[in-house]
Amino acid sequence: MTTLKINGRLRTVRAPGDTPLLYVLRNELDVMTPKFGCGLAQCGACSVLLDGVEVRSCITPIAAVGHKEVTTVEGLPARWARHRGLSAEDAARTLHPVQEAWIEEQVPQCGICQFGMMIKVTELLEHTPFPSDEQIKAALTTSGPSPHLCRCGSYAAILEGAHRAARLMADGGAK
Amino acid sequence: MNGPDALSVFGAALSRRGFLAAGGALIVTAAISRPAPAAASAAATSGNSLDATAPTSWIEIHADNTVLIRTGKCDFGQSSIYTAYRQIVAEELCVPIEAMTTVISGDTDRTPDGGGTFGLLRTNVQNLRKVAAYTREAVLSLAAQKFRLPRTGVTVSNGVFSGGGKSASYGELVAGQSLDLVIPISGEATGFAGLTVTGSPPLKPTADYSIVGKPLKNPSIRPKISGETPWVGDIKLPGMLHARPIHPTTLGSKLLSAGRLDAAQYPRTRVVVIGNFVAVVSPDEWEAVQASQQVAAGTSWSQWQGLPGHQGLFDHLGQKVDWSEVPVRKGRANSGAIAEGFAKATRIHKASYQVPYLKHAPIGPTVSLADVKPDGSVTVHTHSQNPQYLRYSLAKMLGTSIDKVVVRTYPGPGHFGRSNGGNAGSEDEAVLLSRELRAPVRVQWMRHDDMQWSTQSGAGLSEIHVGLDASGRISAYQAAHKAPPMQDDRLIGAVLAGLPTIDAPRPGTTDFVHAAELNIADTWVYGGIANVEEQGFGTYQIGQRESPIGVGLRDHSMRTPIQFQQNFPREVAISEAAALAGADPIQFRLDHVDNERFLVILNRLRVESGWETRPSPSPTHSATGDRMVRGQGVSIMLRDNGYWACACTIVVTPSTGEVKVERLTIVLDLGIVVNPLQLKRQVQAGCTMGISQALHEEVSFDAGAITSTDWASYPILTMAELPEIKVVIAPRPEFGIYGQGSESANALAAPAIAAAFFDATGKPARRFPLRPEYVKKMLEA
Repeated sequence: MTTLKINGRLRTVRAPGDTPLLYVLRNELDVMTPKFGCGLAQCGACSVLLDGVEVRSCITPIAAVGHKEVTTVEGLPARWARHRGLSAEDAARTLHPVQEAWIEEQVPQCGICQFGMMIKVTELLEHTPFPSDEQIKAALTTSGPSPHLCRCGSYAAILEGAHRAARLMADGGAK
Repeated sequence: MNGPDALSVFGAALSRRGFLAAGGALIVTAAISRPAPAAASAAATSGNSLDATAPTSWIEIHADNTVLIRTGKCDFGQSSIYTAYRQIVAEELCVPIEAMTTVISGDTDRTPDGGGTFGLLRTNVQNLRKVAAYTREAVLSLAAQKFRLPRTGVTVSNGVFSGGGKSASYGELVAGQSLDLVIPISGEATGFAGLTVTGSPPLKPTADYSIVGKPLKNPSIRPKISGETPWVGDIKLPGMLHARPIHPTTLGSKLLSAGRLDAAQYPRTRVVVIGNFVAVVSPDEWEAVQASQQVAAGTSWSQWQGLPGHQGLFDHLGQKVDWSEVPVRKGRANSGAIAEGFAKATRIHKASYQVPYLKHAPIGPTVSLADVKPDGSVTVHTHSQNPQYLRYSLAKMLGTSIDKVVVRTYPGPGHFGRSNGGNAGSEDEAVLLSRELRAPVRVQWMRHDDMQWSTQSGAGLSEIHVGLDASGRISAYQAAHKAPPMQDDRLIGAVLAGLPTIDAPRPGTTDFVHAAELNIADTWVYGGIANVEEQGFGTYQIGQRESPIGVGLRDHSMRTPIQFQQNFPREVAISEAAALAGADPIQFRLDHVDNERFLVILNRLRVESGWETRPSPSPTHSATGDRMVRGQGVSIMLRDNGYWACACTIVVTPSTGEVKVERLTIVLDLGIVVNPLQLKRQVQAGCTMGISQALHEEVSFDAGAITSTDWASYPILTMAELPEIKVVIAPRPEFGIYGQGSESANALAAPAIAAAFFDATGKPARRFPLRPEYVKKMLEA
């Protein structure tokens, strides 16, 4: 048995310690936004935050997670609410500014890569509130084990989404 | 109008099935019209198993003034069925867009239409548009009855019918009743093209449009982004098993023996073998992954070598393939006397152009869940662009009636045409395993399965001759396009298991999608050239006939199939001919197109892109050295009544062979623009994928197998390489035709980038990808 902290909650799982986090999230815990893309840490579709640092859940065994908190897109609203000191009621009604920006800018085409993209951009904006184009591109290309890939070609929209998210976060969130 | 006395409205029949105490609705169903009883074979009848009397069709008008639409199409990120379709139906019904609350897509038991998710605004939306027109006219008849006025005395606007001082909304007119509107249709639900709504209801004049043309957000994005939307890979059923296929080591290998599974290590896992199809199945997904690696390592396959290898591909196409096996197709624009045209030429540009095999390469490998019940009924949960054709194909594989098969569809990774003939891979394997194991089975291909065992966009080899007369005008244009077929829709699991499928592409079939003949698909645009001869030479799929299991390199349409393979050579050749003529490549195109719409967008492109008007190559061009050299290039395309022009600027570092796209501008005239917001996003994205293809993409293969197995061996564009992309939408609504987006944008980048490479270096780029190893060879040539 392994205990994991997932999106603010402690969860106990049966899977062996060498099981990649992705399979545990999806099959045992019903946390479905991390997607299987390659299983090789080559694409970023399965990205999650481990104590705020983006990792690829497809190659991260749960034994290596330890006490670090796992944040997926499901947990972004609560992460933002905690950051802003919102009430639980307000938190339940909110999305993370990165999510709001993705909707406002109509970023996705098919959308399968966008969960990982939003995780990576959240990581970036928590450290770099107003990134330049070059910083956003670097975060999504060279900062991790591989570039975050989008086959539909939504990179231009992602760039606009990241800038809008930065403004929303500075303004305290949407609406 | 009570009882059986139906009210006829432009060939549709409106009847009232009864009165209701509460609610009320008008439901549009379909009557199948057949020209002659002889045409209604048993198979054809069962092909339309959607019950025309059941409330599962087309459009529903509800008493609360909301409208539901159903389409057999799915969404792959274009958003059209959630945005443009709602706009077009709202427009035709004359209701506010807010009334269009629900879109049901794709499921074979819940939607009509059939057909594939392609040409969404070209042909496919015309069904719903016509149904909406029938519906509006039927409810207008109800209003006329209620108001005791002739139909001509009633008008409709913003969801309300008015006349003689009275008014009533759609909802008020259907309230308390159960109304059926039966409309005429033709076709087969499970045929490749699906059903077509027939008749000619009066369509709203496009000049009166007020909803079409407005930016509308895609309502499916918020639930996706918030994590509420179930994706295809997220579907679970009680007792579900996880499977991983073990595909053969080559495209022609037969199974000799399946590998051993260590039962102590993987006690819950088992190996299933059906013919040459091998799979590992477990209640635990990670166990299935690990066990499949163990079994795969011990599985032996016969060896096969029947492919030319990607490095020998174009020699193979040029010298080994017998192009006389398949009848030659001629271009529709062929005109004049080609020999006379070349006799007038003082200079001739002659060159050979190459387009490699490309992968659709969805970010998520294909995944499906199948549930075969003891009574033989089959439900497949998948992500398909043509669910009714998948249903037909699965029934054929199982030797059962299509009525036994239901296909349910979910969002999934975009795959750009790969499943427009029903399957993307994995669906049939899930069905076979579920039947075998009497449990729901989820088949998730791994990255290497998706790269090596899916279909690919076919390669092309084109010989182009362009004759220039003494004045520098083109006197003759001749193209011989040679390519394997466009589309193999056989279910690969069925092929491996030795079960029935449709035919592999072959000559002589009446089914044009699966033909081996090569059409000229790149619509001719240079009407100012008097002597034109384009020919299409087809063949069988490479390696398929030689493969003992009949597989080989399976092809499938991608985005602008065949047109891409023919537009790249044409546009690069025209740019090279412009250089031979000493002409600016945009001006050279202006001098040879004969369509006013191209004149408008090419002139606009020149301004919007900051084009330098001058011949290529650039005065600063160089094929050597460490200094970056800059070049500009242009391409144009006519597709689906849409006029497209693209210009780009690139930099090349000759010593390293590195190519970077700096800026790309697209000007598009699509007639009526339905949704400029979604169109802009589609064009940006489609064009970005085109840059990826031009710079990076080529399927690699050796003598037996595809060797592109992952994102390292099939690299695609990264965010860091994103250039500045400028999209200039230049609508021409007076032409009255809807334009559509991302496919054409995808094709424009490669020929413009290749032309810019010539401008920058003085060396032609007659193939892509422009990877350093190829670039260095081009520069040394």
